[in-house]
Amino acid sequence: MQTSRARLFKEYKAVQREKGADPDIQLVCDDSNIFKWTALIKGPSETPFEGGVFQLVFAIPEQYPLQPPQVRFLTKIFHPNVHFKTGEICLDILKNAWSPAWTLQSVCRAIIALMAHPEPDSPLNCDSGNLLRSGDIRGYQSMARMYTRLAAMPKKG
Amino acid sequence: MVSDSIANASITCAPNVRDLGKKKRANRSAKLKQCKLDVRREQWLSQGKKKECLEEWTGDAIQWDSSKMTLENMELRKAMDRAEGNGHISSPSNSPISFNSIMGSNDSGTNCSGSSSSSSSAGCCSGNITEEDDEGDDDGCLDDWEAMADALAANDENKKPPVCPPPTQDLAANNMEVRVATAQNPGLESRVIPAVTNTRAWRPDDASRPQSLPNLTKHHSFPNPLDRRFMNGGIPWTSRNRIFNTPTSCPICCEDLDLTDSSFLPCLCGFRLCLFCHKRILEEDGRCPGCRKPYETNPVQGEASSEGGNLTFHRSRSLMMRP
Repeated sequence: MQTSRARLFKEYKAVQREKGADPDIQLVCDDSNIFKWTALIKGPSETPFEGGVFQLVFAIPEQYPLQPPQVRFLTKIFHPNVHFKTGEICLDILKNAWSPAWTLQSVCRAIIALMAHPEPDSPLNCDSGNLLRSGDIRGYQSMARMYTRLAAMPKKG
Repeated sequence: MVSDSIANASITCAPNVRDLGKKKRANRSAKLKQCKLDVRREQWLSQGKKKECLEEWTGDAIQWDSSKMTLENMELRKAMDRAEGNGHISSPSNSPISFNSIMGSNDSGTNCSGSSSSSSSAGCCSGNITEEDDEGDDDGCLDDWEAMADALAANDENKKPPVCPPPTQDLAANNMEVRVATAQNPGLESRVIPAVTNTRAWRPDDASRPQSLPNLTKHHSFPNPLDRRFMNGGIPWTSRNRIFNTPTSCPICCEDLDLTDSSFLPCLCGFRLCLFCHKRILEEDGRCPGCRKPYETNPVQGEASSEGGNLTFHRSRSLMMRP
């Protein structure tokens, strides 16, 4: 409990200090609870998610950093490794490959990397995974692009 | 403390009082010099901040003065004027006479030598104090005391052989009287400083030097071994830090790494963490946070164990280095 609090406070200070160091990530701590964080990440370029801003929510366990934070997408995203309804993320570093050396910032970077490089072999979104596994890159990209425009981009007009 | 030093003085110096009739006069001039310095000190202080207590003091002196003004005192004043070239005594009727009246309460003239010796040593004591700790005396009277000590020391050098105090009872009584007279005015407490026959300031290695005096040389010599130790330990510390790029805080819990932790190498990948987090990881999944390989059952602790002898020393130094 005390360790996680101290660690999160250090991370908070590091985030405040390096604000703008990573222009793709905005990490914001909840005002009243240091175990609740939200993050805004930009969709990586040259992907169907480019131009979209995706919101993540972090629920950090008390055993953090020995236990990984629970992260999910709040913004709807069409991605084989993200559950389309709950926003749950299937990412090894958030499960068994977690290391206490990781930080919330590095988790955000890993999620951005996952958006650019989907893993269709362990899909949470079966439709998206099937498109990729069947080699329909164009279908996957157009679907993802559509959902990015619908959910992750500012409404026009 | 006063009675102890008085006893010492009476033991070390033979109480051969009767032969010292000649020195009586010389010592009297020394005493008068001190009285005059008392007056000057009082005047100087009365301009300053301690006005109330000094007014009280002069009031006492005037009381004494009115009761004990004698012809002998006038004579002594002349001698004092002779001894002092400047003759700058603006209010001689107050304190010198009060002092003499204190002396006058004892019967014989031999007390003069005793009192002068005690007062001169008192002057030396205060001079010594200004030497030893030259800060923190904000009542501003010590400069004058120092000057008085110098003057009295010079005076005594002229009048060899040195002063021998009277028998213990007389001197003790004398000092008690002085103390009674000065007890009412806290500004004069330094006059009751014990009497020692040596009129010079004590050297730090002097045998007769009271133990209670502060020893500044001790303090000056204190940082030296520390510095040496710091230098000895600091160089390998910095070089090791440069070579291995040891993090200053544990990457897991963000607590500062002490030297036990920073010399603790649990995994061959070089990822360092504090012992506390390492234990917690071993209790859970037991994999190195850096390389995700499971920790070996007896991790590489060669560096830590080889430095076991120096461990406590390094730890204390690292505590020292902490701001």
